[in-house]
Amino acid sequence: MAPGLDALKHIVVLMMENRSFDHMLGDVPGIGGIDDPAAAAYFNPDTTGAQVKAQALAEFQSQLQPDPDHHFPAVDLQIFGGNTAADRQPSMQGFVKSYYNQQRNVGHSQKILYYFPKEKLPVLTTLATEFAVLNRWFASIPGPTICNRAFAHYGTSFGRVDMNLLYINEPFKSIYDRLVGATPKHTSKLYYYDTASSTMEITNLLQHQPEVFGTFDQFLKDCETGNLPDYSFVEPNYNDHQTDVGEEAANDQHPDHHVQAGEMFIASVYNAIKGNDDLWKSTALLIVYDEHGGIFDHVKPPACVPDQFTASANATGTGMAFAFDRLGVRVPAILVSPWIPKGKVVDRVFDHASIPGTVTKFFLGDYSPRSPREINADVFIEPNGPAVDATRNLLSLDVMRTDCPDFE
Amino acid sequence: MTVIKVPRPPKSAYDPTRPISALLKMQVEHLYEAEARLPSRYWTEIYPNAIKTEGEAAEYIRAVTEAIHNAHADAAQRRAKPAKKRKGVTEIAAVADERAERKRKNRSRASAKKKKR
Repeated sequence: MAPGLDALKHIVVLMMENRSFDHMLGDVPGIGGIDDPAAAAYFNPDTTGAQVKAQALAEFQSQLQPDPDHHFPAVDLQIFGGNTAADRQPSMQGFVKSYYNQQRNVGHSQKILYYFPKEKLPVLTTLATEFAVLNRWFASIPGPTICNRAFAHYGTSFGRVDMNLLYINEPFKSIYDRLVGATPKHTSKLYYYDTASSTMEITNLLQHQPEVFGTFDQFLKDCETGNLPDYSFVEPNYNDHQTDVGEEAANDQHPDHHVQAGEMFIASVYNAIKGNDDLWKSTALLIVYDEHGGIFDHVKPPACVPDQFTASANATGTGMAFAFDRLGVRVPAILVSPWIPKGKVVDRVFDHASIPGTVTKFFLGDYSPRSPREINADVFIEPNGPAVDATRNLLSLDVMRTDCPDFE
Repeated sequence: MTVIKVPRPPKSAYDPTRPISALLKMQVEHLYEAEARLPSRYWTEIYPNAIKTEGEAAEYIRAVTEAIHNAHADAAQRRAKPAKKRKGVTEIAAVADERAERKRKNRSRASAKKKKR
């Protein structure tokens, strides 16, 4: 018996931008962050050879300028500390060195280790402690935004480790395609903030299937009227812009956008779902970040099953080919539902391929073809059926909680 | 039930003159590729290589996103309109006969009028 799964009708994914797990949640005790700041794992050498400690000194804006490098070669340096040996293992010792390369300023390069005191992020830290924090969720690739977001939509980046994706007529369908093309038909929407922010999924979906898109205003309305699709993917506002009703500040939390604007946005998504009683009891909300944005995290990314694609040495820019057999840096991930017990900490390994993997298995069951990475990715919501594994089911309460927090 | 206050960012957080990040630059480039595939009547008059700030990027992103939606909406509208019924060969022949008949009648009516005068 799994009443939470019986009630579940909607999955919503909110994907924010460019912050690591330790940077955002490291100060929350007992969830695998920076529990013991004196431990060696929370130090990085700077370019003078001095050992620099991670500190709770992160600021909302203006601290991480220029935008920390998070393209493939820079992330390789951050993870492996400059070791290029064939048998190398991740050390997480190259973050300060990597940031130094951008401004050649030793003091400035140390800021890449800063993390937020938990009081500064009341929304994210409250959700992490009230619901389930998935503390081993990694970016799918040790690289930048677009290829990582592709994993959330397709379960693969089709061999790309960069920002320049042109995946048209590739072998695997997007999760939206799968759902709306299924029999019986399912509903699915990708909500971008507004047309001035638009989507990062332009090359393929916006050009060919604009009907799967909606705006954040429509998301709010769909929540209010109970018309939310089976699966929704929500994108934040990626830029500061003027609208007919006033100023819209970017709320994606991408450096150097103000982190509190993102806190407000996360709260507004949560409130929209919680504000409708029927929706609240039948929805699971995943809040996750696309990649770490070049910012320090201490957990070593694990190896994974290779994808069926390989990025050439030329494409990676490291002199080494990449078989998509290692995950990127750890990012914040929180699963919200009133059927989750308070303070759940999940230490199973996930990455963005888990998103289409979970949604597909939950709504469609067996589906083929899917990428090797997606097939092997763990699911964060168990498929409902007569034999649900109770030890893995995160929506495990027999009775729905009534003590969940509100944000105002 | 706990109520958590969410602090607002200061007004100064908003800066549309902020230089565009690598991410926004790439978004603009992707949209430029999308724009180039649209029929020319949907093209914007913005030169993407000259975009330097977030506000400028937003203006271009809005214009192309709306153009893509408009192009698809227009195509859907055209698809929804019932196509004009084409005439078959026999119908065309019948119309030709009717025309010839009408001409002949008009001619004889005209000559009858002339005679009356």
